[in-house]
This record gives sequence, structure tokens and C-alpha cells, in this order.
Amino acid sequence: MSVPDTVHSLWTVAASSTTQTIPTPHIEYGQLSPMLAVFGAAALGILAEAFLPRRNRYWAQIGIAMAGLVGAFVAVVVLAAQGYAGTKAHLAAMGAVAVDGPSLFLQGTIVLIAVVSVLGFAERHLEPRSSTGAPVDAFAPQAATVPGSDAEKSAARSGFATTEVFPLTMFAVGGMLLFPAASDLLTMFVALEVFSLPLYLLCALARRRRLLSQEAAVKYFLLGAFSSAFFLFGLALIYGYAGTVSIGGIADVVSGTATPTPALANTTANDALLLIGLAMLGVGLLFKVGAVPFHAWTPDVYQGAPTPVTGFMASATKVAAFGATLRLLYAAFPGVTWDWRPVLWGVAILTMVVGAIIAVTQTDVKRLLAYSSIAHAGFILTGVIAMNKAGVSAVLFYLGAYSFVTLGAFAVVTLVRDAGGEATHLSRWAGLGRRSPLVAATFALFLLAFAGIPLTSGFAGKFAVFQAAASSGATPLVIVGVLSSAVAAFFYIRVIVLMFFSDPRPDGPTVAVPSAFTATAIALGVLVTLGLGILPQYFLHLADQASVFVR
Amino acid sequence: MTAALAASLSSQGHSFLSPTGVEIVFVLVGLAVLGAAVLTVSTSQLVHAALWLVVALGGLAIEYLLLTAEFIAWVQVLIYLGSVVVLVLFGLMLTRAPIGRSPDADSGNRWVALGLAVVAAGTLVTLVVDAFRCTWMDLPASGSTSVNGSTQANGEVLFRYWVLPFEALSVLLLAALVGAIVLSRRHREEG
Amino acid sequence: MNPVNYLYLAALLFTIGATGVLVRRNAIVLFMCVELMLNASNLALVTFSRLHGNLDGQIIAFFTMVVAAAEVVVGLAIIVSVFRTRHSASVDDTNLMKL
Repeated sequence: MSVPDTVHSLWTVAASSTTQTIPTPHIEYGQLSPMLAVFGAAALGILAEAFLPRRNRYWAQIGIAMAGLVGAFVAVVVLAAQGYAGTKAHLAAMGAVAVDGPSLFLQGTIVLIAVVSVLGFAERHLEPRSSTGAPVDAFAPQAATVPGSDAEKSAARSGFATTEVFPLTMFAVGGMLLFPAASDLLTMFVALEVFSLPLYLLCALARRRRLLSQEAAVKYFLLGAFSSAFFLFGLALIYGYAGTVSIGGIADVVSGTATPTPALANTTANDALLLIGLAMLGVGLLFKVGAVPFHAWTPDVYQGAPTPVTGFMASATKVAAFGATLRLLYAAFPGVTWDWRPVLWGVAILTMVVGAIIAVTQTDVKRLLAYSSIAHAGFILTGVIAMNKAGVSAVLFYLGAYSFVTLGAFAVVTLVRDAGGEATHLSRWAGLGRRSPLVAATFALFLLAFAGIPLTSGFAGKFAVFQAAASSGATPLVIVGVLSSAVAAFFYIRVIVLMFFSDPRPDGPTVAVPSAFTATAIALGVLVTLGLGILPQYFLHLADQASVFVR
Repeated sequence: MTAALAASLSSQGHSFLSPTGVEIVFVLVGLAVLGAAVLTVSTSQLVHAALWLVVALGGLAIEYLLLTAEFIAWVQVLIYLGSVVVLVLFGLMLTRAPIGRSPDADSGNRWVALGLAVVAAGTLVTLVVDAFRCTWMDLPASGSTSVNGSTQANGEVLFRYWVLPFEALSVLLLAALVGAIVLSRRHREEG
Repeated sequence: MNPVNYLYLAALLFTIGATGVLVRRNAIVLFMCVELMLNASNLALVTFSRLHGNLDGQIIAFFTMVVAAAEVVVGLAIIVSVFRTRHSASVDDTNLMKL
């Protein structure tokens, strides 16, 4: 090495005398470990994709993903046990990430959702095997081939599999872990994109009905990009108002306790920047949770995406986006509560009513669940509006309860199949209860939980959010909520009646026997639904302890 | 050199341009940007839309220079003009966009959308008018404040305070890369 | 000079971009309109950065540009794959799905 050095020194001059060093930023790696574990698993997964022979990839990817998720969950539990959810809550990584109760609770929930989702992604027993006998999963064998072409058929024959879905999912999960924990708007924006981009791609990868799947991806992508442009412009306006993007800094400026500067005196002279900025941030977030009037993408995307991905999207995205919404409204903008509350009232009422009423007319199971998820977004919003500690804990609890019901319901949808893949048309589900009582009963349980029947997690969640909303004086909202729950219960029960009290068709769909993966996923869904329904106190207490934001 | 140019443009008095020099440049470039943006969204020739986008984004780079954001101006040129627009042009070619007019480029709800646009523009402009109604701000001369958008200043802030989002950004790029490859690569049959 | 003028420019650009998204049908043109909106945000950010005398706005604008680059990669991959299937990049042709 010394020879090149001396040669170089003939025509270069060392610049070290003039370079200044900047202080090293302080990063608390231990407290970021949930995200680091997941992102690490994603990077490892990509390396495995590059270097392992094709036949080993499937099991390697599942192993890596599960190891990362379990590691992340252990990290969350350890951090919570060390008191970061309570007394030691603080901002880590130069103020970019809040390690506090809501962050850890939501991160734990998202990691568990991801575990169940990865189980669903790994399912290979539902599709008939390829002609060479290779097991087949729910994703396109080769996404680049044109649907119906010879290339696609030969790819399917040779048993190709898009095992890249596992690292992509891990990227999305990592972004979702960062999103509700982000303590400045920039980190929030980057996290939003980190989890959105892999989801757009995953939507396009269905094995069956690929046209629908690709169109869902285009629609989701274009509307998602549109909404994140709104989020960004809102971010710019808020930055213009407050001169900072950190949650704490914004809260200080809004409440008037920040150190005044000449520029601040100008920009905070009136609230127009703040309010329009907040509204635009809201557009971005409400789009992600699928609230009316930003819900147009939901049914199409839920229907077109591969069903395991739909389950993942419907649950995890909602948890992450509501987490970020809570942090914004409770930690950054409590000073303008009286300005945003009426608007959010309107959105919540619209969301509940529109979601419940349009769901009644649906004839496709996946679209039905999509509209039901819209209605549930409305119910969760009533908890957000409560603007008290009970509201936070109720929303946290509801998110956990709702997401496992959703995962379970979509997992059951993957089981009911006919020659063309999943039989999602409702008429095909007639008489399912007589043909396979166990599957139908499981689905009925999930539907009852959606409807909020006592002894299911849905009831405990709804009770908690409505109670929180009522205690903050939002009684009209609670009345609308209860009424639309009743409408929603009507169509859930209609499906149950259809399954159990109508005659099965002779050419009806069959119920595939799942592997241990999907069986475990559904069992976990049932377990959580009943567990949170029968013994909600412990989890409500946990959510209650985790309901203080740090800023 | 560009920093010096921008500084001389925005500092008052001691340059060959009068204090209104910046304003003249701003107005001219601003009009060009607006015109190019309108053409981008309205032309029925798809390739022209991309080329007008180049004009709009390039004009914005000049506006950044006027605001003494030198680093951002060059990143704008490198990333937007250098890669995003090139990719968009590739996209247009891969989807075989017709070189001439394409009649189906507009959807039917043009007038509704135009009405909405006028309303939205009105709202946003009145917002700005309203927010800064009674204030006249002079931008601080670039030399006198800490805000010069040089690469060094940006780098120092970036790597002291914004390290975590920066790392998240690297993850985002990796995910986008891998995802795009998944969607578009055809592999040959092997064992 | 009054920096408010830059904000007018940003607001108008944002509106033009948003209108484009609503009016146009070609997916790639829609995408260009979104780029215009992102650029409008960047202009506002850089202006506010100058106005407040800190560099955060410029840093955010830098992040936005990189995010836009990642978005264009993913978006074009999806749009081109749909085009291969349908031989059209028009958004309204994607009508297998109805409300």
C-alpha cells in the first residue's frame, strides 16, 4: 500500500489539515433495536435471495423473517420492561424517534400482525401443485411475465416463486414500526414512504386474477403518491408556521411557549398556515387509514391484492397510520384541538355511515370486508376525537383487537376456493356452514367480532372507544356510531345466515385444507378475538399504561 | 461560483444588478415555470409533457439559487433533471406513447376539475395573502445569517441531526430497487 | 425581496399539479403532475428555510427529492408491467373494478 501512497503524493495534497470534524450524532441503538432487527432481517433476506440456490430460498426466507420479527418483539418487551413505556420515555436518535408507551404498544402490535401475516404469505398448500410437483404459494411465479402468456405458464411449470415478498414485507414492517414512533414530521414522511412503496409492489403480485391485481397496484400507487404529495405540502406549511418539524417544537410554537424570533412573529401572526397545513397532513393520514372521503382506493385495492397481502395491509397499515395520527393530534397539535375537532367529527360520521351503508350492497367477500374496514376506521376515529387519556388507550386496544380479527377473516377467505382460485363472490358462500362447519363457524366468529357482539374483542373495543368519546362530550358521535354499528351488524349477520341457513350449491366451492401456517394464523386470530373479548381488563390496563406520549 | 452569484444577486447594493435584479430574475423564471407547468398538465402530446416538465424543474433550480440554496439547486438538477425525467421518458417509450397527439389523454371531467382547480388555487393564494397580510419581510442578506445552503452547511446539519431519517432513506432506496427488479426481471429457467 | 412571492409560485404550482392529476388519464402524465406537486412543496420548504433562518427546510427538500426518485422507480415498474398486459397506460381503461 505504501507505493501507491507515495505515487499519489506526487500530484495530490492531503486535505486533512483543512477538514473539520463534526460531532458524532448520538444514536441509542438499543432503543431502536425493534426497527433494526426488522430492517436487518430485510437486508439479510435480500442477501439470501442473491446467494442461495432457488430451492433453499423459501425456507431460508421464512426463517430470516421470523427470526427478525421474534427478535423485534423480544426487544419491544424488554424495552417496555425497562420502563421506556413509562418513566424512562424519551426521544432517541437526535430527536427523530420517540421511545414511549404508545410507540412500544403499537410496535408490539405491528410485529405480532407481521408474524401472522408472514405465516399467511408462507402458505403453499392451498393452490394445486405445479405440474412438476412443486408447491405453490399465493404470489405470481414471475411478476414480469404477461398474464396468460406462454412465459407465465412455463414459469409456473418450473415452480418459480417470488420469494422476494418476504424481504419486501420486512421493509414495509420496518417502516410501519418507525411511522407511529416518528417524533418529527420528516421522519414520519420518510417512514410513510418506506412502508408504502413495498405495499404498492406487493399488491401487484397476485398469482390468480393478475389483471385485477396489477390494476389495484396502479390505483393504489397513483392515489398514494397523490396523498403523500398533500402530506408533504402540509408539512411545508407547518414548517413555515413553526420553523421546525419536530413534534415537540411544533407543540411549543402552537401553544406560544417557544422562544420568539422575528421570523416566528411573522409566520405565527395568524393561524391560516397552521390550519391549512394540518388539514393537508390530515389528508395524507386519512388516506392511509381509508377514511371517507379518502376511501375510494380501499375496496378496489383490497379486492385486487393477493388475499394474504390484503390482510396484512388492512391491519398493519391501519395500526401504523392511526398511531401517527394520534401522535400528531395529541402531541403536536393539542393547542388547536377546537379547530380540528369539528372537521374530524364530520369525517368520523361520514366514514361510519358511508362504510356501513355501502357494505350492505356488496356481493364480494373481499369488498365487503373492505367497506367494513372503512366503517371500523370511523369507529376508531371516534376514539381519536375523545382527546383524553382514555381515548388513546381505547384506540390502542381497538387497533390490536381489530387487526387480529381482520387477519383471521382474510385468512379464512383464502381457504374457500374453486377452480379459478378463491371463491370470493358471496353467493358462492351459500351453505358453507353445512359443508364445512368449522371454517364457517370460525368466519362467523370473526364477523360477530366485527359486528361487536359481547364476548368478542370487537365488543370490548367498541365499548372502550364509545365510552371515551362519550366521556369527552361527543355524545352525538356515539349515537351515530351505535346506529351504524347496528347497520353493520345487519350485513355481517346476513353473511352468517347465508352460510348456515341456505342450501349448498352442488357446484359450490371447496374448502382447502391449509398447512400448519394458515391454521396457526387463524387459530391465533380466534384466540386473540376470544381472549380480548372475555378478559379485556388486562389488555385495557396495558393499553392504559401505554397511553402517554413523550415529546 | 454559483453561491457567489446568488449571493451577489440577493445582497443589496454591491453588485452589477440593482436590488431589483433578483426580482426581475424571479419574475421571469417564475412565469416560465408556471407556463411550463401548465403546458405539462395540458399538452396532449405525452413526450412534450415530459419536456415541459424539464423546463419547469430547471426553472425551479434557478429559483433555489435565488434563495441561496445552492446544494438543493444542484441536487434538483442531478436527481430531477438527471434521473427522474429520464426515467419518465423511458417509461413513456416503454409504454409506446405516441409521438403525436393522443386523443384519449384527457378524461371527461375536465370542466369540473378546472373549477376545482380555480377554487383550490384561490384558497391557497388567499391563504398566503392572509398569512402574510400585514408583514413585509426582507430576506436576510445571505452573508449575515447562518443560512447559506452550501453543501458543507447542509452536510453538517444532515449528519448531525437527521441521521436516522437519512438511514431510513437508504432503506427506502433499497426496497424500491429490489421491488422494481421483482416486477420487471425475467429469469431464465434453471434447476 | 418579499419571500411571499415564492410562496405564491409554490401554491400555484401545487394547484396546477393537483388539477393535472384530476384531469389527465395517462398514468405517466399523472405521475408527472404528482412530481410538480412535490416540487411545489420543495419550493415552499426552501423559502421557509430562508425565512426562518435554519437549514431544516432545505434538508427536507433534499429528502423529498430522493423519495421522489424512489417513487418514480416503483411507479414506473408497476405502470410498465400493467402496460405489458393491457397495452395501454390510460387510467380509465383500468375498469375491471367497479364501485
